[in-house]
Amino acid sequence: MDNKKISPELWEKVETKASQTEKITRKSLTYWQDAWRRLKKNKLAMLGLSIVVLIILFALFGQHLTDWDYSSQTLKNANLPPSMDVYPVTEDKNVFVHREYTLFLVSEEGEIIERLEPTNGTLDIMQNKRRVYEVDGNEVELDFSFIAAAKSEGREAEKAFELKVNGALVETTESVWNKTYLLGTDDLGRDLLARVRFGATISLQIALVATLVQFFVGVFYGAISGYAGGSVDNVMMRIVDIVSTIPLLLYVILLMVVLGSGLSTIMLALGLVYWVRIARIVRGEVLSLKEQEFVMAAKTLGASTWRIISRHLVPNALGPIIVSLAMTIPSAIFTEAFLSFIGLGVPAPMASWGTLANDAVKALRSYPHQLMWPSLAISLTVLSFNFFGDGLRNALDPKLRR
Amino acid sequence: MGNYLVKRLFSMLITLWFVITITFFLMHSIPGGPFTREKELPPQVIEALNEKYNLDAPLYEQYFDYLKGVVTFDLGPSFKMTGVAVTELIRKGFPYSARMGGLAALVVLLLGIPIGIISALKQNSIIDYIVTIIATIGVAVPGFVVATVYIYVFSSKLSLVPSFGLDSWQSYIGPVLALAFFSLAFVMRLMRSSMLEVLGADYIRTARAKGIPEPIVIFKHALKNAIIPVITFIGPMVASIVTGSFVIEKIFAIPGMGKYFVESVGNRDYTVLMGTTVFYAALVIVAILIVDVAYSIVDPRIKFGD
Amino acid sequence: MSEKVVDVRNLKTSFYTHLGEVQAVRGVSFSVEKGEVLGIVGESGSGKSVTSMSVMKLVSYPGEIKAGEIIFKGEDLVKKKDKEMLSIRGDKISMIFQDPMTSLNPVYTIGDQIMEAITRHQGLDKKAAREKAIEMLRLVGIPSPEDRIDNYPHEFSGGMRQRAMIGIALSCEPDLLIADEPTTALDVTIQAQIMELLKDLKDKIDTSIILITHDLGVVADTCDKIMVMYGGLAMERGTAQEIFYDPKHPYTMGLLKSIPRMDLNETGRLVPIPGTPPDLISPPEGCPFSARCPYSMKICKIEMPEYTKFNEGHEAACWLLHEDAPEVEVDTGVKRGEVNDK
Repeated sequence: MDNKKISPELWEKVETKASQTEKITRKSLTYWQDAWRRLKKNKLAMLGLSIVVLIILFALFGQHLTDWDYSSQTLKNANLPPSMDVYPVTEDKNVFVHREYTLFLVSEEGEIIERLEPTNGTLDIMQNKRRVYEVDGNEVELDFSFIAAAKSEGREAEKAFELKVNGALVETTESVWNKTYLLGTDDLGRDLLARVRFGATISLQIALVATLVQFFVGVFYGAISGYAGGSVDNVMMRIVDIVSTIPLLLYVILLMVVLGSGLSTIMLALGLVYWVRIARIVRGEVLSLKEQEFVMAAKTLGASTWRIISRHLVPNALGPIIVSLAMTIPSAIFTEAFLSFIGLGVPAPMASWGTLANDAVKALRSYPHQLMWPSLAISLTVLSFNFFGDGLRNALDPKLRR
Repeated sequence: MGNYLVKRLFSMLITLWFVITITFFLMHSIPGGPFTREKELPPQVIEALNEKYNLDAPLYEQYFDYLKGVVTFDLGPSFKMTGVAVTELIRKGFPYSARMGGLAALVVLLLGIPIGIISALKQNSIIDYIVTIIATIGVAVPGFVVATVYIYVFSSKLSLVPSFGLDSWQSYIGPVLALAFFSLAFVMRLMRSSMLEVLGADYIRTARAKGIPEPIVIFKHALKNAIIPVITFIGPMVASIVTGSFVIEKIFAIPGMGKYFVESVGNRDYTVLMGTTVFYAALVIVAILIVDVAYSIVDPRIKFGD
Repeated sequence: MSEKVVDVRNLKTSFYTHLGEVQAVRGVSFSVEKGEVLGIVGESGSGKSVTSMSVMKLVSYPGEIKAGEIIFKGEDLVKKKDKEMLSIRGDKISMIFQDPMTSLNPVYTIGDQIMEAITRHQGLDKKAAREKAIEMLRLVGIPSPEDRIDNYPHEFSGGMRQRAMIGIALSCEPDLLIADEPTTALDVTIQAQIMELLKDLKDKIDTSIILITHDLGVVADTCDKIMVMYGGLAMERGTAQEIFYDPKHPYTMGLLKSIPRMDLNETGRLVPIPGTPPDLISPPEGCPFSARCPYSMKICKIEMPEYTKFNEGHEAACWLLHEDAPEVEVDTGVKRGEVNDK
């Protein structure tokens, strides 16, 4: 016991405002407001969402970024890269040496002016390996006979070609961005930016419609199965189990073979096969929800089964449904790309990211940029949806409210 | 346990029957029949072909014939390649696909599981950070992209490995990597999060309270529980490798079963399409059955329910 | 006075989180004598669980024991390395937890889990360990133990699982058993059975027990001594008799007023203590209970009072008990009616 003297006024009683200590310090939020708040805090998810929005905007309005249409071909301009090493010829004009040893006149800023025609004979690679061109009074010579010469002598060539302007050897001075075709061209001379943009509309459309079909079929199948319970539920789920044991892709392929390939058949096939996934999730949610008291309350008030399903169960199960839909979209994009690789993609001249990738494979060694853009587009979209979907899942889980 | 096995086996047979039936009726619902080509064939030829392939018989008769055939491992002749039986194609191509697929599965499990565990044990360290990034990106990159980038970098630019065929051991690297990539990323993530969840469980606290040294707590108590979701994933993993093989075999020009499958889609070779589909389905079904058995050995809770 | 099994002095344990230092235990002292049952009572957040985890040194990152001593069999456990603790945990000091459903590993049999402790600490071979395990199961009241030893946790009912947990904890005949809310997750009738079992086994195996709970009813029946904790500190300590019939601290009195008492003639209402426990990241200066205490004075908010001793073993920390404090009419919660003689 200490002997410190304690000043008298410290012994005064303090009024405890106990009621204040339990005051609810936060205003209450609805489930959706709370979820949105949490989602906004998740930086990764918001990044994903922004990228998705940007991609959608690109798909809708991106055609203004380029002068070209997705299907117009300029065969002369086939297989041009997005960035070119140029050789100076005149003050404001350069040339670019195409992989196929044709010569393009390029402006200072990087615009393709035209493909030059040689003045000395044919474009036949076999016959004419030394070509002469005329540019504004200058003589330009392209000699690419080295490799053939070296081969016949059984040795390695030191270089692929030589470029001379008015007799003098020139080296490349700089790399310019291709301003006429920002992402380069494909093997038929079509602008890749226009095609990737068009592909975005196709791929996104497919993903969206497929998801919607899955939603309608799956949600109601699952809700009915879960709500009915008992043997009806058993049978319905047995069917789902049997269908989903096998890789669903096999069914899609079979369906596509039957229906023929085309934009609408892809959407239909994807929707009609993958609904089983959503059905299962919804059925699980409904099963756990229907035991809860608010359903019993609705029943005692005389609500019909249909009303209970559509007004009470589905909205409450909406959380996991939304998350599954957000994750279905990237899956549909993947699958569509996959189908294109097997030859079941949208028919030409339409393009989806999948068909663009498929077409680009054969040119991978020579023109890797053609594969890069659709692959990047797919990966970026899928990644963004994944981040966003993950964020959604965390945000919509009511148990996590802090 | 035996009871459980029998039930699963029965269930699988029903699934297989279902797939055969769906495949059969889908193929036979294609308008125009199998012999519609750009060039019109003379009617006598069509008639002779119809007779040869028994396409005149009523549908249910063809169906039962086909069922009989499946059971006796006779999947009929190829429509487009004369004289070649479907089973022969499968026999030729499957070993390649199996080797590739099998290796891919091994890579996923032997690499993915340990990495996932390490990542969980060293949470928030540099290793964990790197693993998480790779895993997150890995599930967003399609297999064909991995395949083509691999070819571009290692084959074209660096000339380290061949870009087609399966002749040397080096030629396995690309296809196996491309096949395994997605599943590997998935397993790493799954193992990591499962391990983290288990390590926070009450029974781990109990084990520590019993004075069990930490390594045993991790590898005896935690791991057996944490690995359950990963085992469950093996089923979908097999399916993913199977479907992945279609594209990978095409890109790497490997004469496996996937290549024949894809070709049959292109030329509308219906018997080959049906036969390979049924074979794939059977393969996945068997794999899932094995996984279920493994699962019931590890997790005693499921033996008693269904 | 019989020998002390464990003597805790001024224990301080904190969790260093990114939000700051959470001071869960802020200077707690107590001791348990041989054959005794000590009850640690308090609300959620009072620090009682962290105290018990600290005794076993099971507090894991980001928590650690900041200061204090834990004298067990002559040695200070705080100074011991983790490796050395391995031979103490499960063998000399054991612990059982609140939820038997999640505290048992679902993929191993009950037998496996008991035998693991036995083989590790007592070096018996498999056959002997199995025999001992069966004996333990019998001792904790599980019927047909020789069959049930090969069952999995999910095949046991809740009460049986907790018995099994007790069996695991006592299999090596520890000197001290720490029971953290052992009956909270169980049905009321099972609760009584488990508490009976613990009392019974305490004598049979000659163990001392620290019983942690928020339920005064459970404590009244079983405990010899009681420590009441709040806000990371001990408010009052004493024998069960003293705490229930002669409480000195306003918090203890508040707790007593909020539970129904069969041993008094009930004439009044149950009175809950208004308010919520303090934030342990920035704990209040002074007495942690002052915000909710009906008698709090200015000094209470400034400085933590010292412990006033009433006799050997009964002490409380309250400014009202200071020699200079004003005389205040205090409702102890005991005088609701007359005391019923049991």
